[in-house]
Parts: sequence; C-alpha cells; structure tokens
Amino acid sequence: MRTQGSQGVRTRFTEELAAAGAQCTVVCGAAEAGRALARTLAGVHARRVVGSDAPLVQRLLHALGDGFVLEPLDRLSRDELFACDAGVTTAQWGIAETGTLVLESAREKSRLLSLVPPTHVVLLSAGCICESLGDALARVSVASHAITLITGPSRTSDIELTPVVGVHGPQTLHVLLLEEA
Amino acid sequence: MSFERSARAALADEQLRGALRHATTLFGERRRAAMATLPDWEGARDRARAIKDETLLHLDRYLEEFTANAERAGARVHWARDAATACEIIGRIAAERGARTVVKSKSMASEEIHLNAALAARGLEPVETDLGEYIVQLAGEGPSHIVAPAIHKTRGQIAALFAEKLGVEPSDDVAALAAAARQTLRRRFAEADLGISGVNFAVAETGTILIVENEGNARLTTTLPRTHVALMGIEKVIPRFADLEVFLQLLPRSGTGQRMTAYQSLLTGAKRRPDDEGPEELHIVVLDNGRSAMLASPVTRQTLACIRCGACLNACPVYRQIGGHAYESVYAGPIGAVLSPQLFGLARSSELPYASSLCGACRDVCPVKIDIPALLLHLRAEVVGRRVGKGGVLERLAFSSYAAVMARPRLFEWVMRAARMLRILPPIGAWTKFRDLRPLAPQSFREQWRAGLRDQAAP
Ligand code: SF4
Repeated sequence: MRTQGSQGVRTRFTEELAAAGAQCTVVCGAAEAGRALARTLAGVHARRVVGSDAPLVQRLLHALGDGFVLEPLDRLSRDELFACDAGVTTAQWGIAETGTLVLESAREKSRLLSLVPPTHVVLLSAGCICESLGDALARVSVASHAITLITGPSRTSDIELTPVVGVHGPQTLHVLLLEEA
Repeated sequence: MSFERSARAALADEQLRGALRHATTLFGERRRAAMATLPDWEGARDRARAIKDETLLHLDRYLEEFTANAERAGARVHWARDAATACEIIGRIAAERGARTVVKSKSMASEEIHLNAALAARGLEPVETDLGEYIVQLAGEGPSHIVAPAIHKTRGQIAALFAEKLGVEPSDDVAALAAAARQTLRRRFAEADLGISGVNFAVAETGTILIVENEGNARLTTTLPRTHVALMGIEKVIPRFADLEVFLQLLPRSGTGQRMTAYQSLLTGAKRRPDDEGPEELHIVVLDNGRSAMLASPVTRQTLACIRCGACLNACPVYRQIGGHAYESVYAGPIGAVLSPQLFGLARSSELPYASSLCGACRDVCPVKIDIPALLLHLRAEVVGRRVGKGGVLERLAFSSYAAVMARPRLFEWVMRAARMLRILPPIGAWTKFRDLRPLAPQSFREQWRAGLRDQAAP
C-alpha cells in the first residue's frame, strides 16, 4: 500500500474523474464546501434535495439557505424519493487509477441517494484517496453488507453501442474534494 | 431450424449484418484501447486463469466456504441441481412473499433456465430492466449477445418497437429512446416487491457477491424490493476478496472496453439492522445444471473459467457474420458453441462445435485464456464418437474408406489412377460449392519417379 492522499495520487484521481464523466470541485474547509454545494445544486436546478445521515452532509445541507427543499431521508416513500432532484452523500474512499468512489453501507445511508435522484453530489476527503483498486479492497470492510463502487455517471451503450449518460442512475455526478483547511 | 438454415437466413439479412459489423468492430477497437491501459495484460490473464484453475480443482470446498460465509452474513443459499429446480425455488420464494411485480437485472443464468417463462406460468410479471434486455423482452426475443443483448437491432428498429409497445413518438435519438425506457421502468421499480439479479463473482472467503453494471438497474433491483434473489452458476465462486482486483481489471476491459464499469455492487448477506437500507432478505440460488460434469477432465473444465465478457463473440468471424440468434441457444458465439452442447446435450447442439473455422481468434482475446479451439475439437470428436450428429453413416463410411486407402500405398495408387481415368471426384459438394478443387495431375509423382525422375535426381 502506497501513500494515500499524496499530491500525485490526488491529481490522478481528479483527472480520472473527469475522464469518467464526473465533475469535481476542490474545496478547502467546511465553509467553502457549503458554498460549492449550493452552487453545484443551483447549477443543475435542483430544488428537492435529500441528504444522507452523515453528520457533515447534514451540517452542510442545513446551512444551505433558501431556495432548496430538504427532504427527510427516513420518511420518504419510493415515489417521493423518485421526485427528488439531487442526493448528497459522502464517499468513504476514492480510487485514483480509475476515478472511482467507494461507498460503504455500514458507515452511511447512501445506497439510494447515490442512485435514484438524477444528480448525485459526493463529499470526499482528499486524505481518503487510495492509489489502486487493490488498495481500496484491502481497506473496505465487509461489515458493510453493501459496498458500492461508482465510476462516473450511469450510462448505457445498449443501442448501437452509442453512449448515453443517465439511464437508471444519476446523470450528473459531482465530487466535492475536501482538502484540510 | 438447423444451425445451417438459421445461419443462412442470418446471412441474407442485410440489416442484421450491418448492425453486427458496426457493433463487433467497435467492441474490438474499444477492447484493444482499454487493454493498452493495463501495464501487464498477459500477466493479468495468467493470474486470473490460475485463480480459476485453483478454484475449479477444489470447487466443492470453495462452494461450501462461500455458502457458510454468505449464510453467516444473513443470506440464504439454495442449491439447484437443474433448471427446473432453480425455477421452482425462485417461484416458491416469490409465491410465499405474495410478490406480483418482479424486476430483473441482467442474468445469463436466468436466460439459461428460462426463468421468465417459469415465473409467467405462476402468474407473475418479470420485467427486464437492463436496457438491452428490456428491448429484446419487448420484442419477444432472447438476447443475441452476452454483454449487449440487443446488438442485432438498429436504432430504427428499436424506435419502431418503442413506438408500438410504449406509445412514444418514434425517434432516432438514442438518448430519447433510453429516456423512454427509464420512465417506463421507474414505475415498475416503484412497485416491485422482488428483485432478481445475476452474479459476476462470488467470494468464498467473505460470502460476498459482486454485480457489475453500467446503468444502475442492477443497483435498483438489488436495493429497492424487499426480497433479492441472486442466481449464480457454481463456477462464479473465487477464493479470496483480494482476487476481485484482477477480475475487475479484465472483465470491463474485455467486455465493453471500459477500464471500469459505472457500478460494482459488493453485497455481503442481507441488511444487518432494521433501519439499514436494502432488501430484508437475500436468497442466493447456486445452479449446477450440467456444470459439474465439465469438472471431470481438464479440457472441458476450462469451460467453467469463463467470466462471460463476450470478447470471443466480437472476435469470431462466424459470430460477426451471423449474430447470436442463429446459434439457437442462449449462449452464442465461440463460448456458446462449447458451452451449449455441454449444458444442453450434444444431441441438441451437435452442429455448434462445427460453427467455427478454428482460427483461434477467440483464444487470443479470452481474458482467462480458455482454449476454445481445443474444446471445439474435443466436442467434434464426441459428436463423431457418440454418433449424435446428422449424416453420420455416410460420413463414417467416407472416412473409413479414406483411412483404408491412405494406409495402403498400392491401393492408393490404384484408386488415384482409376479416379483420373474415370474423371470422378469424391462427392464433397459442401466443400466445392465455395471453393475449387484442384484438378488431378496427369501423372502422379510416384509415376514420374518411376518413369525417369529418379535417374535425373541421382547425383
Ligand atoms: S470464453 Fe473467454 S472471451 Fe469468451 S466470454 Fe468467456 S471469458 Fe470472455
């Protein structure tokens, strides 16, 4: 296992994110993260926003201000969830070589929010970027009954092998990469 | 229909051949580009094959380990000896839970056991949610490619199909077609009470199943409904969690030319706490259906190393011309030609081992180095030895006469002389229909030798 979170690994990660069709904003500290989150959500015209139970997500969402409707995750029916515009979660790990995000169910309720709304905004701490898939597999814990690896937005090539983005999952994947303030 | 007749029909279908040419060529280009991004492709192939070989040698042990660990994590594991048993198990799970709408993500094993028909017979409505599978389900067809089920259809054909079945405006825009499918399927996801998925890899060490996809439909299928049933062949198991790395390097690159597909779901048992997300129950159905018979010999055993990437289909000069449906089996292409006779009986698929020029392109691209040509030859020998093919009597007579003549120099000379004098050729119409047989020389070498060539050649 090599140095995680080093500058080289971070650069590789953001390059690969872009190659996979995801957007990325590097932010320093919670205040900047909050502003970037508001900008990102406004950029995709999201109104109904639902956040995971991660404390950071909850903190940022509640500081968002007017213009957004915060939906409570626990009390959403399937139909209400389907009507949400954006889901906000954290990711436990990043993988530099492929621009992949790793979400663990034991750490956060992020399975549906990272999947159902058309936009998924992910907060990832820059210190949690592993170099390779092998490194990430060595770090995750199967105490999580569901570990989800996400690389770019949902897509298909099932019609004439023509790529289309956003089939069943999110069309927009936006990563807010948190550097220590 | 016989393979020969359906292949001929496919060859006459210009639209089909255009769609195939386009798709298989693109697949090949993307695969090569993606391969180049892995520093040691050959090394990865060798490692993956070694892992598969090790697993298959001790498959019983690894399956037991997988079962124990999956159950410890809260899954229920069911063993199905054959297709009927698997359908029965899944049908019962659905019935006991009063399920009505069943959403399915891509699973070749479910095609193999004709699960949809079995569920429909119980009054259930299984809905395919992978875009390609959804298209072929709407069209009342089966998939024609392991990875891209609707590879045989043009966008125009799909637009017409959606207009007819979904009542949407016909559109040549692929994004609009995908959006129409998403909309319709969202409603099905909202009401589904049972989700059925396939499995790409099952890890013995942890009891984890891994599902690879791009669209997100497998994630919806395995997250939203209360019950999740995962169907896997016995060969999906691998020993260690860390082994996933090499397979995740090889599978997306070989299959779709991606370095990584959009989603990998690693599921270990059912949810742990009541307020966790995800299904309350996970049932894993482990299917044999003829696979364990392949373990007997090293030649046939390697069939079970297949990770269903589809690369051999895209590379095969036969598949590229006729597509998947001509094989008349859920498994098409080179791997289908060796898998189908072993799964469904040599008698039913006796023509498939011959649906190959033995060029070896399949072996060259296979990420786990399966020697498909060797398997094809092995199965051809079986077809002949067990006399299950058609036209066996004449062919056997021809070959035994040929052997008799070739083993006796005098007889050979005599036969050749007679053939020359009478100007008769062996009845090999199937061969000469597309090629010319070279005319026989007026004098054989041996005759020339005796008539003086020997003296000229002498020093
Ligand atoms: S035989 Fe090899 S190339 Fe063909 S589908 Fe299986 S793994 Fe892929």
